[in-house]
This record gives sequence, C-alpha cells and structure tokens, in this order.
Amino acid sequence: MRWIWIDKFVEFKSGERAVALKNVTLAEEHLHDHFPGFPVMPECLCIEAMAQTAGILVGEAKNFQEKVILAKIQKCVFLDYVKPGDTLKLTAKIESITSEAASTSGKITCEDKLIAEIDLMFSHIDQNLAGKDFPQENFVFTDTFKSLLSGITFQD
Amino acid sequence: MRFILIDKVISLESGKEIKAVKNVCLAEEYLADHFPVFPVLPGVLLLQGMIESASWLVREVENFAHSMLLLEQARNVKYKSFLAPGGQIEYTVQAKTIEENISSFIGFGESEGQRIVEARFGLRHFNLADKNSAMAGTDAEIIKNMKQRWKLLR
Amino acid sequence: MAMSRDDIFQQVQEVLVDALGVDDDEVTTEATLMGDLGAESIDFLDIVFRLEKAFGIKIPREELFPIENMMNNPEFVDNGKLTEKGLAELKSKMPHTDLGTFEQDPDINKLPNLFTVNSIVNYVETKLNAA
Repeated sequence: MRWIWIDKFVEFKSGERAVALKNVTLAEEHLHDHFPGFPVMPECLCIEAMAQTAGILVGEAKNFQEKVILAKIQKCVFLDYVKPGDTLKLTAKIESITSEAASTSGKITCEDKLIAEIDLMFSHIDQNLAGKDFPQENFVFTDTFKSLLSGITFQD
Repeated sequence: MRFILIDKVISLESGKEIKAVKNVCLAEEYLADHFPVFPVLPGVLLLQGMIESASWLVREVENFAHSMLLLEQARNVKYKSFLAPGGQIEYTVQAKTIEENISSFIGFGESEGQRIVEARFGLRHFNLADKNSAMAGTDAEIIKNMKQRWKLLR
Repeated sequence: MAMSRDDIFQQVQEVLVDALGVDDDEVTTEATLMGDLGAESIDFLDIVFRLEKAFGIKIPREELFPIENMMNNPEFVDNGKLTEKGLAELKSKMPHTDLGTFEQDPDINKLPNLFTVNSIVNYVETKLNAA
C-alpha cells in the first residue's frame, strides 16, 4: 500500500487553490476490510486525500522549502460515502498562510454530489516545533508528490 | 496490508468507555512513504484508531444491530506528537451520546505518558437494508464478519 | 467599523468555541486560554487566523502571544523569573493585559495565566480603534 491518496491535479493556482482527483478501485486492498461485503472508502482516507491536496498547495506556495505536516483537523463533515468505481474531486483553498503555519478549507465531491467538507491546519515543522530535531532534507515532499505537479498548467 | 488500526481492546465499560492499543511496526508498508527517513504513523490513521475504538463501543452496546458505522464528523483533532515504529499507542474513547443511528465521542491517544492525539467526533450507524431491502443479506455478512473480528480483538 | 465591546466579545467567544471545541459558557472574560480552555501552540495559530478573518485585521502572532520568544532569552528570564528587562519587555508587548498581580511574583510558570479571553478582547478593541 503506497501512502499516496490523490492521482492527479486538474487545476492549480499557486498560493490559492488546487483541484485534484482520486479514483477509488477494488484493487485497493484496504477496501476489502472496510467493510467485507460492502467496500467504501474510509472517511479517514478521504481526509488524507484532502490533506495531500491542500498540503501540496501549501508546500508549493513556499517552493517546497518547508516541511508541511498536518497539525489539526479543524472540522470535517461527511454527507455521503464513496464506492469503487467512483472518482473523488478534491478542491482545496488556502485560507491563511504564514511562515509557521497555514489553514485550508476544502470540499470533496463525486459527480457534483457533495461528499465532505474538510478544514485543516498545517504546521511548518522546522519553524514550529521548538527543540525537536528533524532530518535536514524535506522528507515530506518526495519526488512522487512533486511529480503530480509536472505537466499541469499553472493558472495565473 | 489489512485495514485494522487497533490490535487489542484492553478495557470496555459498556456504552461508556473503551481503551484499545495499537502497535506500530516497520512492516506497515505506508511507513515507507510517511515519511522516508522519518517513519511515523499518519495522523489520519491515529484518528482511525479512535474511530474503530468508538465503533466497537457502539457495536457492543447495540448488540451488532447495524452493519455500517461511518465517521460523520470530527472537530479539533489535534496532533501533538509523533508515533514511531516500535512504539505503542493506547486509545481512550468516551461516549458522550449513543443513540440509535448517531453517536458522539471524545477520545485521545497516549504513548509512554505523552499525548499523541486528541479528537471530538461522531459516527452514524445504519443498515443498507434501511434504503434497499435487497441488501439485507449484505448487512448480515458484514455483521458476521464484525462479530468474528470482535473475537480477535477482545 | 464601530463595534461595541459586547459585539467584540461575542465574536471572540465564537472564535474560541470553534478553535478550541469548548462550550459557549466556558468562554468567560476571565477564562485563561491555556489553563481553562486548553489552548496550545497550534491553537494559538488557529485563533490568530480566525480573529484576522472575523475582524478584518492583521495580527502578527508576536503581538498577540509574545511570550514564546521571550522564554528562551536569558536577558528576560533568570532562574524561573522575569528580570527587570523581561518585565519591561512584557509590558511593552502586552499593553492590553493587566500585569499588576503578575509583577509581584514574575514567575514564568505563571505567564500562561496572563492570556485571558479579556486580554484578547482588549487587543482586538485596540486594533479596531487604531484602524
């Protein structure tokens, strides 16, 4: 199981907003445990998909210089569930951003049906966690994540 | 890889409080991506551990009446520290309310005396047959599976 | 934007309820952010972001919550207490907070108690009047 919960970006406005897609498929092993007989995408993984969409948006805003990690889920609400064969559309927007942290708002839809609303806060851990030492290199934004942005037209 | 984010239930006060533990080990594949050189249990899986704990609290007290238990909302989920391979987290989840189709909880997870995560969240519980009577068989299958899983955890 | 102190308090209360997950009636004017309401580092940032949006003001975090930077400075803190310099620095950074009682025993462990809901209301009021 790879820890990558979005498949591609379809829109990207640097420092403002991003839209990504995620396909849900029976090939994903975890679905078979949640639940056996009726697989649905676990809500916590929907949150992670949003965290990756929003996290890359926040990271890119600072040129991937900061290690951006999820610090707080301010609020999330789920209105429906998602099944294999569905495609999630994740829209994230930066609400606030400083050198230490960022807050984002987001919506998940599936074929124009609202699935969830998710508001998150990210911490730039080098600026924030006093006294803790982290490896120098930016282990958060690996090539796998950055490659999601290649080929995408950045909007003005 | 199996999607089960707790290993054992260590105490249960029916309808009120549950405590469960989860071991973190390098065999968990996602750790290779989260993160390279700094493996830690992803925050959403810490939340999932609490969601599962709460789900068992509901399933047990309602005697496995519903097949589907899903997260409905969560707020003020705070990640306070990291949990690395070799560590174990103990979740404590307390029910605020458990009604027929909806419940609310407050939970936290600690490891070696340190608070790792805390959250307030609510679940919704239902049967697929509620909307489509043809799904009653599927409900029964899910419930049977959950009962077997409960035996493993308890 | 002439907001009454009551209006400001209402908005601040709403911000704190959302950011900290506490109930309305817990957010009294005298409630301390860290002690009574359980706020921590990430919550301070959350509160600042929400206050900025709610009141349309810019809040450098240093201005509202100046303490963290001061704690590690040996000029300001000596043996668990604030020095003369430390006290002067604190007064200049927190004109919106009553430091009378704290001055008598400037124990740094008591610093978190200075942040009350009231001090936030004062801060916002000052910012709005200056705008």
